[in-house]
Amino acid sequence: MTAAYRLENVVFGYKNETPVLSIPKLLIKSKNITSLTGSNGAGKTTLLHLLAFLETPTSGHLHFFDEAVSPGDLLVLRRQVALVAQNPYLMKGSVMENILLGLRFRGVLKGQQQELARQALARIGMEAHADRDAGKLSGGEARKVALARALALQPRVLLLDEPFTHLDQGSVEQLESLLRRLQEDEAMTVVFSTHDHLQGMALADESISLMAGHPVDSPLLNLFHGRLSGNGFDTGRLHIQVPDDMGTGKHLVVNPAEIVLSTEALTSSMRNRFHGRVVAIAEERRRVWITVDAGEVFHAQITRESLRQLDLNLGSEVWVNFKSSSIKVF
Amino acid sequence: MGYFSESLSTALDLILSFDREVWETVLTSLKISLQASLFAALFAIPIGIFAAIHEFRGKRLLQQVLNTLMAMPTVVIGLFLYGLFTRQGPLGELGLLYTPTAMVIGECILILPIILNLTLVAVQSADPRLLPTLQSLGANRMQTAIMVMSETRLAIVAAVVAGFGRAIGEVGAAIMLGGNIEGFTRTMTTAIALETSKGEFELGLALGLLLLVIAFFVNFILYAFTRRAGS
Repeated sequence: MTAAYRLENVVFGYKNETPVLSIPKLLIKSKNITSLTGSNGAGKTTLLHLLAFLETPTSGHLHFFDEAVSPGDLLVLRRQVALVAQNPYLMKGSVMENILLGLRFRGVLKGQQQELARQALARIGMEAHADRDAGKLSGGEARKVALARALALQPRVLLLDEPFTHLDQGSVEQLESLLRRLQEDEAMTVVFSTHDHLQGMALADESISLMAGHPVDSPLLNLFHGRLSGNGFDTGRLHIQVPDDMGTGKHLVVNPAEIVLSTEALTSSMRNRFHGRVVAIAEERRRVWITVDAGEVFHAQITRESLRQLDLNLGSEVWVNFKSSSIKVF
Repeated sequence: MGYFSESLSTALDLILSFDREVWETVLTSLKISLQASLFAALFAIPIGIFAAIHEFRGKRLLQQVLNTLMAMPTVVIGLFLYGLFTRQGPLGELGLLYTPTAMVIGECILILPIILNLTLVAVQSADPRLLPTLQSLGANRMQTAIMVMSETRLAIVAAVVAGFGRAIGEVGAAIMLGGNIEGFTRTMTTAIALETSKGEFELGLALGLLLLVIAFFVNFILYAFTRRAGS
């Protein structure tokens, strides 16, 4: 599978300030759905702007479908991708005029513009709103129109900044299935950012976690902040046993796939055992996610089979077990 | 008081009886100010948009210079151009001094920084999402500039109207470059300034009233546009 984007030693920052992004190496595969997860200020939007060619790295190399990106190519490259901002801006005029705008900019034949725009509106169920004044749309409608405006362009890569924020459950499902269809039927590369790690991992083929501008290789679920003390890591609520050679750091993550849930205390080599209650159960793409509040909130990924065997329900008492080797401190 | 009220009634008579001299002067004023606004806008709007949407060295300095030029004394412009256009001056051969053309050039130079600066500010204070949105949709420089102009059109029209308002009410450069020649370069302001001292107070008052009406009208338009641009 070819890489849609390849980043090497990419640094982005403003003059005399600490870099917003610092990425030693990053691959975003083509025809994949990739999520960028991280909390606010982690650098997700900045990275999306780099991927949309709205910004160029301060230093380092960016490759787009194996071609090195140089500042002179930005316009040509921008016309191959489309970005939907978290809080999109619509131009004055009708919904239709907004959707036609990008097609005009990109030199799409006049005869095809209307058709592409109508198809895009139909995909998001807004075909009846084509003639409405864009300035009078609700926030949700404006975001849909912005999505249609991007879809009409038939980009090689569709970039979405926090597309699921403030959507109701029905709209989330619609958008998820739309993104999957784009990937499966049209071989489109999709990259979206989200601060919801579960969402990022559930929908995406690959999930890139960002923290303070750095990609971190484990997903940032079960991320705890605290300090190392003695042979453990103190989060303020829990004391987590860590391996002796852990080094230093203020953040700790536990891989959700390596958490073992049990209804009774296990006598095993797993050094970390915490008792808690199930506070959420969710299923995404044949994976079951159990959220347990054991002083700190843990997310564990288990199979359907284990869910059946453990017979877990909301409020069930459960033990969270993991080896100290499932932990990373940084 | 009797003198004033009598003069006022004569002035109103002059206006309402469509006195040729009064209305000719008004027309000359409007013509020169409109032409100056048009030419100034032609240069100022594209430069203002370009300066607003690009980052370049000296941008801050440009804005400071523009701010200073906006407050430039009009007689200084008159003096400078007089030096250029007078017979002994470098452009003396063109015979422009005391012609409407010289006045248009003078007013144009006077209001160009105003329109430019107000355009620049209008575009800079547009929604910060506008530029990245246009760029990500694939707009080239020209397409970007046209769309930015379209999105900020009300504020830009307001900038041109503000320039027109300054030109029509200006007197220093108009006297020095136009010379107040009746039916040719006599504008409302030069007539008020010069004819009154010749004892034609009623004419001055009539023109003053009309100038007030125009100033009021211009401000009304300006208010309407800036309000709509801001909404």
